[in-house]
Amino acid sequence: MSNDLEADLRAALGHAAERAPRAPGALSAHVVARSRRRTRGRALVAAAAAVLVAGGIGVAVRGAGDDPASPAVDPARTASAEVTQSAPSPSQEAAELPEPVEKVWPDAVWKIPAELPGGRKFHPLSFIDDRTLLLETWESFEKADAIYAYELDGGRTRKITDIRTPKGVFASGHTVGDGLVVWQTIDEGDGDETKGTRVTRFWSVPLGGGTPREIGTDRPVRGRGDELAVTGGRLAFSLHEGGVFTVPLGGGTVEPVPGAERHHILRWPWVGTPGEYTPDTETSFEELLNAETGERNTAVVRPGERFVRCGVTTCAGSRPDGTAFHRMRDGSRERDLPGGVAFTGLAADRFETVNLPMPPGGEYLHDLVTDKSGDLGIRPDAKGESISVQPGLGDGRLVSYPLGDEYVIIDLARIAADSPPGPS
Amino acid sequence: MDDDSRFADFVAERADALLRYGYVLSGNPHDAADLTQEALIRLHRAWPRVRRKQDPESYVRMTMARLHIGVWRLRRRERLVWDLPEDPHTDVPPSDVEQGLWRALATLPRKQRAVLVLRYYEQLSDEEIAGVLGVSRGTVRSHASLGLGKLRSAVPHPTAADRSAP
Repeated sequence: MSNDLEADLRAALGHAAERAPRAPGALSAHVVARSRRRTRGRALVAAAAAVLVAGGIGVAVRGAGDDPASPAVDPARTASAEVTQSAPSPSQEAAELPEPVEKVWPDAVWKIPAELPGGRKFHPLSFIDDRTLLLETWESFEKADAIYAYELDGGRTRKITDIRTPKGVFASGHTVGDGLVVWQTIDEGDGDETKGTRVTRFWSVPLGGGTPREIGTDRPVRGRGDELAVTGGRLAFSLHEGGVFTVPLGGGTVEPVPGAERHHILRWPWVGTPGEYTPDTETSFEELLNAETGERNTAVVRPGERFVRCGVTTCAGSRPDGTAFHRMRDGSRERDLPGGVAFTGLAADRFETVNLPMPPGGEYLHDLVTDKSGDLGIRPDAKGESISVQPGLGDGRLVSYPLGDEYVIIDLARIAADSPPGPS
Repeated sequence: MDDDSRFADFVAERADALLRYGYVLSGNPHDAADLTQEALIRLHRAWPRVRRKQDPESYVRMTMARLHIGVWRLRRRERLVWDLPEDPHTDVPPSDVEQGLWRALATLPRKQRAVLVLRYYEQLSDEEIAGVLGVSRGTVRSHASLGLGKLRSAVPHPTAADRSAP
């Protein structure tokens, strides 16, 4: 063997390495933000993931799932944009802080201790009913070891079941229906994706407690589950790669939903395409299909509009001139969107979080239907970092975030029920 | 010091080195940045475990190598969190031989290239390479031999005559 070749190769690689791009200074903050935002099922999406923000500026934060749009935004540009655009909704003065969320929506906001009796930290997953929260505790980062029912009035906590997953496998996508908690595990080989297509498995346990049971499928489900729903004795699921399927809750044959080969569950029975993850900033959920009735709907998107993210009834995005809008899917009732582009889209078709100008920094929750705003109470720390709350698309009912020694729980469905959107 | 500050310190200290590694692994700045970003995101997600049980640097380098040869590349590419400069700066223009080798490396299958980078840039033994890529030592040797063979035939070695053996 030629030593010359090997020596030349060493030199060529060594010199080539010097031509590599340099890392930006804020790389760590961006990576952390994106890591936290990355979907591992609904737990991190609809439930408003908390994200670390550098400098108190809502840069890397206002994105959904793996949406590439937000982190690509230049921080400097965003900073100024936020200052001008996080301007007040029509009901507020710039310098005036909104009232705290618990004052604005007293029936829909709870503050509960951030630790369970015994001192364990927990992470809210979803509502079981109007008064009960589904929580999980973690054995390690994002690796659940148990799920609990937590009564919001009184704080009674009941373990539903222990969760045991192999190394590198995480329980995600928890949803409640037919008296069951249902979730998925995706065998992703501890981050090693070189082993080919991954397989998603589904599990259920009665809300009353018990041992998790696998929802058997007649063939392995190849792909990564993204959203789950329980409907009429069946589990409906969609795959990250696209496609909506159902299987009996007791296990059985996996059946594709006709016409939904590229679709993702948005809010059952609504499924749509493209899904939440749109690598080339396509419009999220531009096309919708009602999986039960076959009804179809295509959102109006105008030339030059960007970052458009649609829900079941509304869309939000950016106009060609950079200003942000929200409107109905058919293009009607277009209004300016306070706070600039909502990269996550609107939660429950009407809620967004908006950054407060610095100082004091922080965020408020804004209801576009009533134009009410409530301060989430988050403030940057001494280093200028703060968490950011992102209610997302999907059912988007639960917003939760830690605040000091407490967890703040907001039920968007309850706020919406008190003031349904009116006719135009 | 909490986990996030430790992670931030790690990224601040090692990101440029990881980008260099990603660049020789992939051959272009975009894939280098993409690989580095993705591997760091995964490192962050596994941070408490990795810090406890492994060395973050080797974890992230292993992740980058496996991502590069894996199906991930074909399926998905996230927008970078930063803009790449239009023109990478170059201090020293590479020699003709080096340029030829660099171009020839681009024609190799990913696994062959990865093995050569791990051996001649990372200076790993074949056994270590086998561990990083999750393949057998025999596979490492055959990839290395095939890869070197292709480089040898693609790049005639004018210097070989000058460097007469001692």
